[in-house]
Amino acid sequence: MIVGGIDIGSATGKAVILKDGDIVGQQVIKSTTNPVITADEAMGQALEQAGLPSVDHLENVVVTGYGRLQIPYASENMSEITCHAKGAHWMTPSLRTVIDIGGQDCKVISVSPKGAVLEFSMNDRCAAGTGRFFEAMARALDCGLEGISALENQGDNPCTISNQCSVFAESEVVTLVNEGIDVKNIIAGINNSVASRLMSMSRRVGVIEDVALTGGCSKNYGLAKALADKLDITLQKLPEDPQIAGALGAALFAAERLDKAD
Amino acid sequence: METSIKSDAFDKFVQASSCILNPEIEAWKEQGGKVAGFFCSTVPEEIFTAAGIMPFRMRGTGSTGTELSDSCFSAINCSFPRHTMNQALKGEYDFLDGLICINSCDHVRRIYDNWIRHLKTPFVEVMSLPRKIEQPQIDWYRDEINVLKGQIEEHFKVEITDKNLRDAIKLHNEIRSLQKQLYELRKVDNPPITGTETLAVMVAGTAMPRPQYKALLEELLEDLSGHEGTGKYRARIMIVGGELDDPEYIKIIEEQGGLVVTDSTCFGTRLMWRPVDEDNLDPVQALASYYIYDRPSCPRMYGDQERRIDYTREMAKEFNVDGIIGERLLFCDQWLVEHYMTNLDLKDDGIPFMALDREYILSGKGQLRTRVQAFLEKLEAAEN
Repeated sequence: MIVGGIDIGSATGKAVILKDGDIVGQQVIKSTTNPVITADEAMGQALEQAGLPSVDHLENVVVTGYGRLQIPYASENMSEITCHAKGAHWMTPSLRTVIDIGGQDCKVISVSPKGAVLEFSMNDRCAAGTGRFFEAMARALDCGLEGISALENQGDNPCTISNQCSVFAESEVVTLVNEGIDVKNIIAGINNSVASRLMSMSRRVGVIEDVALTGGCSKNYGLAKALADKLDITLQKLPEDPQIAGALGAALFAAERLDKAD
Repeated sequence: METSIKSDAFDKFVQASSCILNPEIEAWKEQGGKVAGFFCSTVPEEIFTAAGIMPFRMRGTGSTGTELSDSCFSAINCSFPRHTMNQALKGEYDFLDGLICINSCDHVRRIYDNWIRHLKTPFVEVMSLPRKIEQPQIDWYRDEINVLKGQIEEHFKVEITDKNLRDAIKLHNEIRSLQKQLYELRKVDNPPITGTETLAVMVAGTAMPRPQYKALLEELLEDLSGHEGTGKYRARIMIVGGELDDPEYIKIIEEQGGLVVTDSTCFGTRLMWRPVDEDNLDPVQALASYYIYDRPSCPRMYGDQERRIDYTREMAKEFNVDGIIGERLLFCDQWLVEHYMTNLDLKDDGIPFMALDREYILSGKGQLRTRVQAFLEKLEAAEN
């Protein structure tokens, strides 16, 4: 059985192809301004990797993410929350909490032993504490996302960034820069502030171990470290790219639907 | 999910709910009728009806921005007063002959101060709503209503007799009873009316001369008898929350397959689930008792959370609800804490709950959709 999952996020598009329960193609690309083109490009590259000539060779495709309503060849669309839980749980079945930090949303999801969503909490409607926030901070510090993420850049004496609003936090960072504060301490402060926000969201749902991060921002090592410290837990390292968890979850649902139809 | 209701009455309700000044009000004004606006469902509409004045519940419907009102509010004020004030500053409320403001919350309370400085409505008064729900507060509110009654009599040169008041209470109770009948239709598996459609009917009930509204509502109930239902849906949803006058918000939930079958909101059941006591010898006392204690309260009232959660539980049971969505306008502190408590309490009952923030003018539909869809998927996963 060959199925596909697509996750059209606000920042990146992801595609996963599963053959009899194995990942045979996976791709992460930058989102374009057109969700259909993003899906086509991500899926096209994943198909190539899987050695398949076209999407017609997939028996079923499920789509998730912000662009999920636009994809013509998907049989179904599902929410990112359900898909991330499914995908991450497949990677590491001992997970009971999944923290997904994407381009414009972050969610804390409590997962059942079978990988179903028990409870979730999501950021309110601004982009504070998401990829967009880090992009703004990287711009203010002129250090790129890698600079924010790198473990060696996490200063020992983190600044307090009190503003969660991306716009105001950016001016706060500019003020700190102009006060001559060590950039590493500002970076650590930024990651700390997002970690605090995620911690309060996590507390709403309740953190049960094992816990893992998914989504693009899971690659921010500074944030992961700050969050693990605050929650006083060890974050599980996922065996696959945590950014594809949503697309993988969608593909798993695509397979499940076929199983049920049989 | 749409029922494609074929009913002239329904079409009029949709029109009235989607604008501020509707044709029924225009006709009423042409005949020399007076209209008084009021904020918050705790203002006793019956007083206006008794005075022969049409009460109109204030809204910001149709607003596209807050560029005029932002000079007197701030970006962290609730978007409901900001949009409503903006509509007023644009002249959309020039048809009002009077306005009653109230301290329902601090954001809404400040409309009064801004209104009297910037607008020329001939009669603007403010009521003081108590916070507790015991006898001294009921008596206080009775006095407030009597003060308002006197102010209306003086300004509009009318006399409001006890008989006028009793007749008004009777009319409003009849409307409440008809609205309740409409809700009863939604208890079945395949209701003839959606939540989106119902909200339009409810909003119209605050925006038309009440005798006309009552007649149209009777007509609608007739049109709905034997009407085919909404068809397939994924889950039966109840909405709990505050100022919600926009059917489009409900539509987002219903488009994902969550059929909204009941609510506890102040354009919904809290307005009408219980009647005003018609046997009380003092009709003003009856109104005070109703608005402070008898009807389900909102979280601005102290010490009443237990009754509120009981009401939510009862409604959820009566309407066979699968999950509850807690609606809240951004920055509303009252509903923020209420939803937090509701979530904890409902966990004990095993009723799934999700808080869903919004702005007064519907925006960020994608994010709303994601949350609703995930909630419905969660409900389905729990079933399997």
